[in-house]
Amino acid sequence: MKWRQVRSIQFIIVASFTLITVIVMLFVSFVVYDKFANTAEQNAVLNNQQIIDQVKFNLESYVSGIGAFFEIIDDRLNRSGGLPVKELQEQLDTIRMTRDDVVSMAIFTIDGQLIQSIPSQMQRRNTSLTEQSWFTAAVQAPEQLSYSPPHIQNLFEGAYKWVVSLSKGMTYHRSGIGEKGILLIDVNFKTIDDLCQRVTLGGKGYVYLIDSMGNLVYHPQQQLIYNGLKYENVEQVLKYTYGSYIDRSGGVERLITVKTVNPLGWKVVGVSYMDELVTTQQEIGGFLFWLLAAVLGFVLIVSFVLSARISHPIKRLERTMRLVEKGVFSVHMEMSGAEEVKQLTSRFNLMVARIHQLMDQIIVEQETKRKNELDILQAQIHPHFLYNTLNSVVRLAGSGRTDDVVTMISSLSKFFRISLSKGQHIISVQEELEHVKHYLIIQNIRFKHQFSYEIEAEERILNSRTLKLILQPIVENAIQHGIEGSADEGCIRISAREVDGKLLFKVSDNGAGIPPPRLEAIQAGRVESRQGSGVGLRNVKERLQLYYGLAYGLEIESQPDVGTAVTMWLPLEREDES
Amino acid sequence: MLSSYAGQGRGLKVKLLRAIVLLLIIMPLALNTACSGNGIIEISEPEQRNFALVVKMLNDDYWNTVRMGAEAAAKEFNVKITFLAPEHEKDVQQQVEYTEQALKLGVDALILAASDYMALGQVVDQASYYNIPVISIDSEVGSTKVQSYIGTNSYQMGRTAGQELVKLMNGRGKVGVMSFIQGAHNAEQREEGLMDLFSRYDGIEVAEKAYCYSDPDLAYELTLRMLAKHPDLEGIVALNSISSLGVARAVKDADAGRAIRVVTIDSTPELMGYLQDEVIGAAVVQNPFAMGYLGVKYAADALQGSDIPERVETDVKVIGLNNMFWPENQKLLFPFVK
Repeated sequence: MKWRQVRSIQFIIVASFTLITVIVMLFVSFVVYDKFANTAEQNAVLNNQQIIDQVKFNLESYVSGIGAFFEIIDDRLNRSGGLPVKELQEQLDTIRMTRDDVVSMAIFTIDGQLIQSIPSQMQRRNTSLTEQSWFTAAVQAPEQLSYSPPHIQNLFEGAYKWVVSLSKGMTYHRSGIGEKGILLIDVNFKTIDDLCQRVTLGGKGYVYLIDSMGNLVYHPQQQLIYNGLKYENVEQVLKYTYGSYIDRSGGVERLITVKTVNPLGWKVVGVSYMDELVTTQQEIGGFLFWLLAAVLGFVLIVSFVLSARISHPIKRLERTMRLVEKGVFSVHMEMSGAEEVKQLTSRFNLMVARIHQLMDQIIVEQETKRKNELDILQAQIHPHFLYNTLNSVVRLAGSGRTDDVVTMISSLSKFFRISLSKGQHIISVQEELEHVKHYLIIQNIRFKHQFSYEIEAEERILNSRTLKLILQPIVENAIQHGIEGSADEGCIRISAREVDGKLLFKVSDNGAGIPPPRLEAIQAGRVESRQGSGVGLRNVKERLQLYYGLAYGLEIESQPDVGTAVTMWLPLEREDES
Repeated sequence: MLSSYAGQGRGLKVKLLRAIVLLLIIMPLALNTACSGNGIIEISEPEQRNFALVVKMLNDDYWNTVRMGAEAAAKEFNVKITFLAPEHEKDVQQQVEYTEQALKLGVDALILAASDYMALGQVVDQASYYNIPVISIDSEVGSTKVQSYIGTNSYQMGRTAGQELVKLMNGRGKVGVMSFIQGAHNAEQREEGLMDLFSRYDGIEVAEKAYCYSDPDLAYELTLRMLAKHPDLEGIVALNSISSLGVARAVKDADAGRAIRVVTIDSTPELMGYLQDEVIGAAVVQNPFAMGYLGVKYAADALQGSDIPERVETDVKVIGLNNMFWPENQKLLFPFVK
């Protein structure tokens, strides 16, 4: 870009508007983005906590439901007379069937002997049930319902199932004697899975459940973790009862939300991936970017229009000024644009009009002045020539050459009549040729017929208009410089023709010619006439150009000892035209 | 004059204001469209890839666990698994056909547990025409086109099984071997490891070696026959889950007076029941879930262009009654079926 364009009003306005907008928008965007990002993160944390809370409540209500179920069974057993009883077995099995999460129920003595199992199943060997956590817990705290971590139920024949065991001490009656025993209810993961699976935390996030020791109760990739193919950082979770923190282990930022399920002490853990939260932030960022782009585009358009409105009239003014500079003064600017520009335009118009007026005035004055000068020049011809001619006439009269005197005087009279031409500058070609003819007659007598002359003209141009007294000074030069110094008899030829729609006068002689250096000087206009008359080539040339313009004028060709030819170009103006 | 100027100025201002108001109306509209376009960025789901998992046998606990692992990975890496297996493990031809069929279907990767080292090798070589990754699991296959093998070191596994039996028999006695298929690479390797170990114990005498072709009923028959033929037989090693099942059933049904030490391979629930009932003395278990999972995972990785290990040897564990219900072993032995 050129410096001139960079400094233009339009550019400055557009650039500064844009710059200001960008700075302001960037600042606002930064503040808004920061605020939004923070809010988005807080919202995500809050949202996760609410979701996890919901899971927690669902689990708590499920657990309390299971607890209530346990109490019902316990109550039934307490009220029954003695065990094992077939009817009770059937009743309890019917109750069990209503719940698809209860795998089995069983009553053991505190020594680990099976009293009754519901449904009735064969017990396996080598169960080592007295060492299992549900059993020891029930023995140690018989009054409290205890929940085991997930484990394989290995008590009965049939498929091995992953269960959570609920156990509690109880009293059963055998042969009328109350004895201490343990009631066991095994629950599968169906409902727990359903509760946890239903929850989604973003695209990749998930919920898992651990018991108070950190054993997985539910995890969407439980089997992978059990097989050592995946790892879940539960150690850190165990430190929390509730709350949220960012986990950076594994190279990915994850938002961990922890809630504890009462009364089990299980922990519901929500895992969301920060990059998904960041996606929300990216969306805000994207939005702000488009906003910035749109505002910028808007500002660009507005500032462009605005600056164009300001700078356009100024540019128009400049263009007009350039026209004036080239000489076109006829311009007139319309008044439009801003108030200031209007004032400027009006002043400019006034100024140009004034200059135009002054220039016209100067031209008129100059022309007048020149014409005056010309008249003076023309007037100068006559006294000198008259003096010489009258001298010759006296001489002729003295030697009695009456015929020559008559010829001379009559030629002189005609010469002057044409010279005066009632004060007109323009005469016909015929008159001009006649004028020069009379001059030649006079000069021929004066120079004792030392030269001959020929005048020829095309018939059709005789009526054309010409500036008067242009041939006579050339012929005078030809006689003075060409013929006078020449030993041979001189010959002067004058012709008038129409060439290319222009009028051509040609005066040639066979005299001494002009030496090249002097010819050069004459053509350059550096030579003053030796005679005081001052009427010479320059005079003729100036007059021609003054009248007809620079396209017309006078040319000299000359060769030493061969002769000189002067040609003059004039516009062809018929008499009737002017 | 002045008033006319002011009028013109006001006209200009009105024009400008109009333009600005117009732009202010248009701009939010444009923004809205831009943003609504932005808001509903439709993450075009990458086309779901289709992997073929060809295993040795249909309706078998061991292979079902492999399949579970593969499906866990399929879910994680968003691929579809076409599970193909012949009815019986001995039906090698059927497995070859299934593999060819899968290749013709234009699957994106092949995960193969070869029943026959050589026969499947030719098919796998064909896979290179399709320019797809081939992952071999459980048993190796005779082809250089296999990009990765995930499975147990079969030789070492055979040695371990032998070692357990020697321990149970206190270093002396007659033993029988129940292998599964002649020609299967892992069967040969396990046998080799087993025999190498037995040869180190002078007290151990291998009475008989039988092939059950992964047919539990045949294994049952062969075991009963073996027990009848060698009344002094004191130990049996079964070299895969199917043969283990047949052996365990036979030993349980056989004369209760005889104490037969049984060492088995793999950990199907039924075998675990026999282990708890002390029919089986010790079980050498692999991790079929990990094989299935890693098979799919590495195939997906290979398609992504990342480097995958040429050979992954999954762990082997010896499980007895004493440790089978340890929490960490429960997790390994019993699939977490929901």
